Amino acid sequence: MAKVKKTDNSVMAVLADPPKLDPKETKEPINVLIVGVGGQGVIMVSKVLALICQNLGYEVKQSEVHGMAKRGGVVFSHVRFGSNVWSPTIPMGKADVLIALEWAEGLRWMSYLRPGTGIFIADTKRIVPPFACRSRILGADIGYSKDTPDDVREKVAEAFALDATEMATRAGNERAANTLLLGALSTTLTFPTEEWKKVIAQMVPPKTVDVNLAVFDQGQNWIDGSRKGEPVEGAAFVPLVQPELNSVRNTLEITAEWCKGCDICVKMCPERCLVLNKDQVAELAEPEKCTGCHICEWLCPDFAISLNPITQEAVA
Amino acid sequence: MNEQVALKKETQAENNKDFEIRDYLRLDLFPHFMCPGCGHGIALRALLWAIHEQGIDKDKLAIVSGIGCSGRVGTYIDANTFHTTHGRPLAFATGLKMARPDLHVIVITGDGDCLAIGGNHLIHAARRNLDITCLMLNNEIYGMTGGQVSPTTPHDRFTTTTPAGNMEPVFDASRLAEAAGAGFVGRELTIHLPRLRDLISEGLEYKGFSFIEVMSDCTEVNGRKNDLGSSPEMVLGQTRTMRPSEYDNNVVDHPFRPNSMDMGVFVRSDRPEYGESYRNMVDQLQGLTQKGQK
Ligand SMILES: Cc1ncc(C[n+]2csc(CCOP(=O)(O)OP(=O)(O)O)c2C)c(N)n1
Ligand code: SF4
Ligand code: SF4
Ligand code: SF4
Ligand SMILES: [Mg+2]
Repeated sequence: MAKVKKTDNSVMAVLADPPKLDPKETKEPINVLIVGVGGQGVIMVSKVLALICQNLGYEVKQSEVHGMAKRGGVVFSHVRFGSNVWSPTIPMGKADVLIALEWAEGLRWMSYLRPGTGIFIADTKRIVPPFACRSRILGADIGYSKDTPDDVREKVAEAFALDATEMATRAGNERAANTLLLGALSTTLTFPTEEWKKVIAQMVPPKTVDVNLAVFDQGQNWIDGSRKGEPVEGAAFVPLVQPELNSVRNTLEITAEWCKGCDICVKMCPERCLVLNKDQVAELAEPEKCTGCHICEWLCPDFAISLNPITQEAVA
Repeated sequence: MNEQVALKKETQAENNKDFEIRDYLRLDLFPHFMCPGCGHGIALRALLWAIHEQGIDKDKLAIVSGIGCSGRVGTYIDANTFHTTHGRPLAFATGLKMARPDLHVIVITGDGDCLAIGGNHLIHAARRNLDITCLMLNNEIYGMTGGQVSPTTPHDRFTTTTPAGNMEPVFDASRLAEAAGAGFVGRELTIHLPRLRDLISEGLEYKGFSFIEVMSDCTEVNGRKNDLGSSPEMVLGQTRTMRPSEYDNNVVDHPFRPNSMDMGVFVRSDRPEYGESYRNMVDQLQGLTQKGQK
């Protein structure tokens, strides 16, 4: 299988003759790994797939983990199907398709793909978790993966990065992004389209059936078109925007004559950048750490602290 | 209506941006008299911020305060201030508001001032529902006079008048004001400064008697006598020692203290405001309007 590389920003690497995964053709089960974060509909995707497999008479096993799902934590679901499935979990390096509803989650699970044939399909939607922002300084580095589709291309056999969330939003329902990815997934398998649509119509809320079926088609066309090298409508991958480091400088004025050394500001400052000096007066010891959160100003019972955020332009 | 509310919130947020506390202070009196870490200072910031948020003109503002550290707080505000007698700020404020309904009358009082010597004034002010905002700074002690027991001192606390620990049951001031008929009642901790500001702001906006209980720290007297820790420890400890119900502090069942205290707005009623009813009656008696007509 020759690997065709496109330099398009949102697509990816395409295989010249992509495999159609057919459970009838193999003895081993087919493995689909679906990942994302809480609330995106990972479980819905895996349930639809599992139900179709069941309807078509295959043995199917599904297992899932929700890590703090309600708070936007990791959620993943393994779906394995075929004539015989023993273990419900996919071993590393054995996933045939990886469907990621969130960009960094896709990158995180990439090593589960089968080397040489694994297909990577990811929404470029990025949900930056709070713990990726360790430093609260405006403009500080975000601990979120900086990898772009270009970086992924080198690592997997076939890769698609599409802004499913944006496409679903344009179609009328942001929450249908997972169905759009189901459409993309359907192109890798041999199941008939009607079967997919029947199950999707059963699973989604009745009012949203139309939009879900429409985005399913969109997902299918997007992958098929990309494989044929046709221009497909999607949204380009936009790198994370980060405000310039220290674009805001905070000036903390401490009126020494008013400070009574109560220590409240020192102990309450989340960045620990204040100290009491030898005269028991508060002092900003590490100005570069101050995020301008106002806590010291607000809780000083003596009004001794005032914080004035000044933008860099104003300073210059 | 919703649009109006949204617009108002927007204006308030806009107002908030340029809040400069020194515009509202009598700077020549600073530094203020309060002990290091005293929660009354934080409460004062919340009040001034709320006043700013409501866009109240300083000339239209009348601060009436009683006696105590809480009462002294009022004297630092650069507006019309009236430092009255112990327990009686509500009585003075009632007279003032009746004579000058155009003023925003705010009472600053303490737990001793408002609930002990002034308890009677509180229940009647609440009953009448005259348009006054009453800020009770509850530090659970008589701070100014060196730490005597007050009607809100928790069980077992040491004070100069309870050397073996307090054995008296307490008042839940907010519930008291509610039972007496106050049109607006709420309670908040000083550590929740933005929430406290919003609560006061809402109280200021309310037409009628608004009673706001501010849970404050007396670091010097209450804190030291009872080993409640340093100033930062006391502020941080509010969420534990003052047992706000939202922190699930319903520890031991204690008949002597509201076992777990809720925070936020408890009452927001549309009872008639006393001043307006009064002026309507005067108009009627003077033959200006008919009964039942405004
Ligand atoms: C008629 C009268 N009785 C007693 C006093 C003494 N006195 C002054 S302040 C105070 C108690 C104040 O306590 P509180 O209202 O809780 O205010 P805090 O100082 O705690 O803020 C007392 C009893 C007084 N000034 N006048
Ligand atoms: S504003 Fe104050 S509390 Fe916040 S980080 Fe700066 S010094 Fe610390
Ligand atoms: S909180 Fe205010 S009074 Fe207390 S130490 Fe800090 S600056 Fe000084
Ligand atoms: S005695 Fe207590 S209430 Fe009074 S100023 Fe000192 S700490 Fe504050
Ligand atoms: Mg008191």
